[in-house]
Amino acid sequence: MNGVARKVPSLDVSLGSLHLQLPTLMGSGCYGSGEEYAPFVDYAGIGGVVLKSVTRLPRLGNPTPRLSPTPSGMLNAIGLQNPGIDAYLAHDVAKFADRPCAVIGSVAGFSVEDYAEVTARLAARDEIDAIEINISCPNVGHEGETFACDPRLAERATAAARGATAKPLIVKLSPNVTDITEIARRVEAAGADALAVINTVRGMAIDVDRVEPRLGNASGGLSGPAIRPIAVLAVWEVARSVKIPIVGQGGIETARDALEFFLAGASAVSIGTGNFTDPRAPQNVTAGVRDYLAARGHAALREIVGLANAAFAGAR
Amino acid sequence: MPALETSPAIHRTIVSDRREPAPGIVVLGLHAPELARATLPGQFVMVVPPGGERAATALGLYEAEGERVSLLLVVVGPRTRELAALPVGAPLDLLGPLGNGFDLAALGADVALVAGGVGLASLLLPAQALRAAGVRTTLYYGARTAAALIDLDAFAAAGAELVLATDDGTRGHAGYVSEALRAAGREHSGIAACGPSPMLRAVARVAGETGVRAQLSLEETFACGVGACWGCVVPLARESAQAPNFPPVAAGETRDYVHARICKEGPVFWAHELRW
Repeated sequence: MNGVARKVPSLDVSLGSLHLQLPTLMGSGCYGSGEEYAPFVDYAGIGGVVLKSVTRLPRLGNPTPRLSPTPSGMLNAIGLQNPGIDAYLAHDVAKFADRPCAVIGSVAGFSVEDYAEVTARLAARDEIDAIEINISCPNVGHEGETFACDPRLAERATAAARGATAKPLIVKLSPNVTDITEIARRVEAAGADALAVINTVRGMAIDVDRVEPRLGNASGGLSGPAIRPIAVLAVWEVARSVKIPIVGQGGIETARDALEFFLAGASAVSIGTGNFTDPRAPQNVTAGVRDYLAARGHAALREIVGLANAAFAGAR
Repeated sequence: MPALETSPAIHRTIVSDRREPAPGIVVLGLHAPELARATLPGQFVMVVPPGGERAATALGLYEAEGERVSLLLVVVGPRTRELAALPVGAPLDLLGPLGNGFDLAALGADVALVAGGVGLASLLLPAQALRAAGVRTTLYYGARTAAALIDLDAFAAAGAELVLATDDGTRGHAGYVSEALRAAGREHSGIAACGPSPMLRAVARVAGETGVRAQLSLEETFACGVGACWGCVVPLARESAQAPNFPPVAAGETRDYVHARICKEGPVFWAHELRW
């Protein structure tokens, strides 16, 4: 020790007016109503939970099987099973109140009006700190992803949600598009406060013995470490295209995984499938990122957001 | 099954012993005092993969006594191979105990335990608990071949009569274990079964034919194992006491079932309430 007291690097981050003590969100659909992980997690050790997506009407979800493990990842096709906004507000929202982390509601829809109505009703609740709109669910037929794949519709869904709440608005983008940067720019222009990059990558597995798809929905969304390079590139490209903050996600399990996203341009990260491997992943990420910053003399996580991206641009 | 009052947690365990009762089948003993105390018959754990990069593996708790629990592994792929190769002294982290176990009190005074292959793992604790309650038990146990029938002495020690079946006819009934169960007719007051899905469906048919009520512990791929992801659901009658109020009945909804999570509402369900 050299006797100089070194300050612990700060990890807090702002997504619009949403202030997170830690840069780790738990991905929508992977953390249920939040309470399911209560026996295993200290919520003071995570930045926030993005709740499972809710739609205007109740949904029974897709037929089984809904999961299929794949190399370094998994396919899922849950199909937005949820109780609908009426029952959700009556029974579910209050379940995850009074936790020492941010609570972000997730809205899915099938029309521009859905996004406006469900966002307004969910955001009106005090328990909800911010809204993420899921315009990119790959598992509810073509209609579910239409909003993420068509720049004009992505803009309209964002504008509808923006008009419905003044709370921080995150829009979750799909990687299953030709040019994610165009969508990102349109969504930014429509008033989003932050972008979540990326949702799952469409995929399929076939059981060659039974001669049929492994998922009841045939196709599904691929997540886990297998998609991490796809997600890092998407963050890298979106970061060069917009000014609003990015929540990077896709296969993050460790601090070094998360650092790739920060260095590419993400201000925060989201952990989904990584919680299934180990519910301690978020605290491991936080501790490892803090060590990395301290070892390199950084006072705050903010100092390294986009650092690799900027350095690369500067060297060209 | 009634929701159990349990307090699951992350347990840091150490491999205490290891044996291989048959080729490709490993019983992994773990020093896990708190887990051993908390475990009820039919519950399971999620095993955090030692090497990362894979989803956790769901396994039934085979034994739980004193400060030790054990897991019964059949090596079928990279995940189970990794676990089966763990040496004594290796750390292994588990989430558990999870799920609702068997409602043994609802099965009467003469219970048929029905196991297919690795499904045996979820039936030793019920056998021991039933013996302690003075209930007569018979284990119907089917496997591929005689060499894969393991730990018969442990079940005999728990007071179970044994009825065996092998696919290749090398021991016991030649054919499916459900056929041996069918031959027993209405001899038993209740059935508790665990094994691969085709076997459980056959047991459900036998239960339907004989009128003997059966509790089935379902096997499925889990992602989270704690009820968060809704990936492991099974169609369950709306009127089941286990049916989640999720979603509520929508206008125009004609289906008479809901999707219940095997990991959370289950893994044990009444056969007559499944709509699979």
